[in-house]
Amino acid sequence: MSLQDQNSSSETAAFRRPASEVMRLARMGSSHPTRLSFLRVLLRRLTDEDWVIDRPVWEVDAKGLGHAVYRVKGPERTYSLVAFSHDLPAEMRSDRVIATAWDATFTLFDGDPSPEDIARLGDNVPLQEAGRISPTELTLARANRSVRLFDHVVGALSQGQQPDPEEIAAVGYLMRTTAVYGSGKFGAADRDDIAARPELAAPFQVEMLTVWLIRAFTVDIAEHMAAVKGGDRTVGLSPEIRRMLGVGNSTGLGMAPFIVRHPVLLNNWIMAREEALARVRAQPGAADDAVAGMGKALDAAIRNADIWRSVHPVQVEKLHDLRRDLAMVSDKLSDWDTQQPRPWDALWTWGSETLSHEGQEALLALMLEPHGDLVDDLADHMGADEAATFRLNGSMPIKDLRAILESEYAWALSIDFTSPENIARFWYVSEEKLEPRLGERASEEGATLEQPLCIARLIAELYAALQGFDDATPVASLLLAHPEHRYTVRRAQIAQHHPFAEVHDNLIAADMLPIDLLRCKLAFFGANQFDPRSDRWVRINLFQGAPYPDDVQAEKST
Amino acid sequence: MNTQPHDQTRGDSTPFFQDNQAAPLSRNEVASLCMKAARGAGMSWGMAEEAGFAAAWLAMHGIDGPGYLCTHLKQAQGREWAELCPSVARGDWRAAGGRALCPIVLGATLCDYAALSDGPVADCSITLGKVDCPILMLPFLANIAQKNGVSITVSWAGGSVVVGQGSDWPETASGALAALPSEAELSLTAQQGVATDPPAGQSPKANTGADTISMLNTFAMRTTVPASEQSRAGAGSTLDDND
Repeated sequence: MSLQDQNSSSETAAFRRPASEVMRLARMGSSHPTRLSFLRVLLRRLTDEDWVIDRPVWEVDAKGLGHAVYRVKGPERTYSLVAFSHDLPAEMRSDRVIATAWDATFTLFDGDPSPEDIARLGDNVPLQEAGRISPTELTLARANRSVRLFDHVVGALSQGQQPDPEEIAAVGYLMRTTAVYGSGKFGAADRDDIAARPELAAPFQVEMLTVWLIRAFTVDIAEHMAAVKGGDRTVGLSPEIRRMLGVGNSTGLGMAPFIVRHPVLLNNWIMAREEALARVRAQPGAADDAVAGMGKALDAAIRNADIWRSVHPVQVEKLHDLRRDLAMVSDKLSDWDTQQPRPWDALWTWGSETLSHEGQEALLALMLEPHGDLVDDLADHMGADEAATFRLNGSMPIKDLRAILESEYAWALSIDFTSPENIARFWYVSEEKLEPRLGERASEEGATLEQPLCIARLIAELYAALQGFDDATPVASLLLAHPEHRYTVRRAQIAQHHPFAEVHDNLIAADMLPIDLLRCKLAFFGANQFDPRSDRWVRINLFQGAPYPDDVQAEKST
Repeated sequence: MNTQPHDQTRGDSTPFFQDNQAAPLSRNEVASLCMKAARGAGMSWGMAEEAGFAAAWLAMHGIDGPGYLCTHLKQAQGREWAELCPSVARGDWRAAGGRALCPIVLGATLCDYAALSDGPVADCSITLGKVDCPILMLPFLANIAQKNGVSITVSWAGGSVVVGQGSDWPETASGALAALPSEAELSLTAQQGVATDPPAGQSPKANTGADTISMLNTFAMRTTVPASEQSRAGAGSTLDDND
């Protein structure tokens, strides 16, 4: 069910931000993870439902070769991460999708794998894209070591020492995943077949579970290698240092088209977040524990901004803004009048008038943090039944379609596509590993094979085509005469009922930054420490500071 | 067909099936591969999505949608839109030049006209004429049957199939349509009635042959741009990963 169907949202409508504000790339590129982020949804469920997690198999030799199984038992079902550990020569270590070998490879098995299952997976999972998995597998993933930190940690532990916390903070993870595939890729189970399970209804839950279990593996393999090296002298990682380690993720352009190709899903993510903010702002008062909770979250955000490193000039500037803004929020909280009417709205209004995009989006996350009871149910509305919006409405009169374009796409119709800088780029799929890429129209081959991600221009072309049609003509006639607009008409009809379905910027402009699209999506995953390595390639950290499998049980029993 | 089983320069593993092996593709793979193949064979993006939908719907009901689509794309590629699309008039949707209609274009257009008086509304009778691989129309007709609350009959000289009646209608209908000669002239009628949405199997095998997948991949690869040093360099990190 989508949020639009809910009556409750009308009470908060006055506090909701418009799409014209929210869906700009500059703001999407300043997104921060919130308690509605998908990894937080997963961790809440694991804890609330007393999931039991163990590691029934650890068959890894002295060279670090072998496999392991991490098993998660929920109320109704069991899931198992099958991990394969490899010995990767340094010269083969690449995070690109064109890599052919990795330090470790993984699959999430639906149930408890038999030895025969593991043998079959051992023949396929290490090959990644060149292998095949089956409907009993839910994801396929791989990871590479952070060589520097991995070696440092193994070295220290093998000498009976804890690693240097500075080194840990500087990198933040022992391994980074370079792809986590789900949704029927390479023969895996289709999303439709598992989406009805309550624990997998929210988006990307199997992917998040995979990554969370990979995190446990990265620590186990480091401790294993340390024990091989140091024998009896070896110690395990201290709980405090272990907690500081997340899982890195390296990702590129492949992720950017996703949010353009899934307009209903994007709408539902943004809508849930915006509705959450509106609910918080709409509250008549501020409870003491909520105020204290936000203060605690602010402290954590300041620490996070402190260890957040990037050398990319765009991100360096944003980090500067963020640190300054968080300090301003800290000052503001000291004289924030929590007794005034709608104090949260007053705080938000101050922030939106005072802070940069970075600071505003960080403030949003902070304001949601102490309001779990008020907003967590919104996570149930972040999935999307895309089949339900696939069928076009051919009876719609051209007049109505034109009205949609003029109201929902005014931002697109205002762009001048005769100007070279507004058509400077083109999205395409490379023959090589079918990797999505972005080319320069003026200097690169392949623009005739452009992917339909240039939504603004497609809308402008559709709008021009409509000029030749009478108002009363049905869309069905238009499509019969102009099949090339079928894709765009479908989107426009979706946008009519999904205000946050479209990025309100020109995705082929010369100055467009693909990392802005990546950051928005990754923030919904729950990613921290966004670190661009170019304008189209980033590293992030997932699950840093989160509990490990044994912590979940220990924290629950205390 | 597979001389380099571990060639990792290809983005999915569908080329790696052996010749006689039926390929257990996921529905997502079917939809994605067929959408790209249809685009590669010349369909517009929006129509290619319809092709992906149709192939995945058939696969979900145990019918080799990718195989039928592949057969159709081979004969339809390069043909002009005007030859493939229906010429819509009340009661007569035959193609302008009298050649076989594209079942994807016909199916999608029938859906577009589902609530319009020239379309497949209750009590209509529409001459379709020749339709290439008519099985590929079934997913669209199933959509219309559901939406309009009608049962749809596709008839030809000496036979007919009913869409939306009985739980096993996809099997019955696809069997009868598969046996039709290519010159069969079809017509469509709709009657008011509650349509049955056939139950989909849990991940049934598409039973798609390796040759079909290879051919669809060949079509799909026409949508891709050959790699160049410039494109490869632009796609990744500008910094080393070995840190």
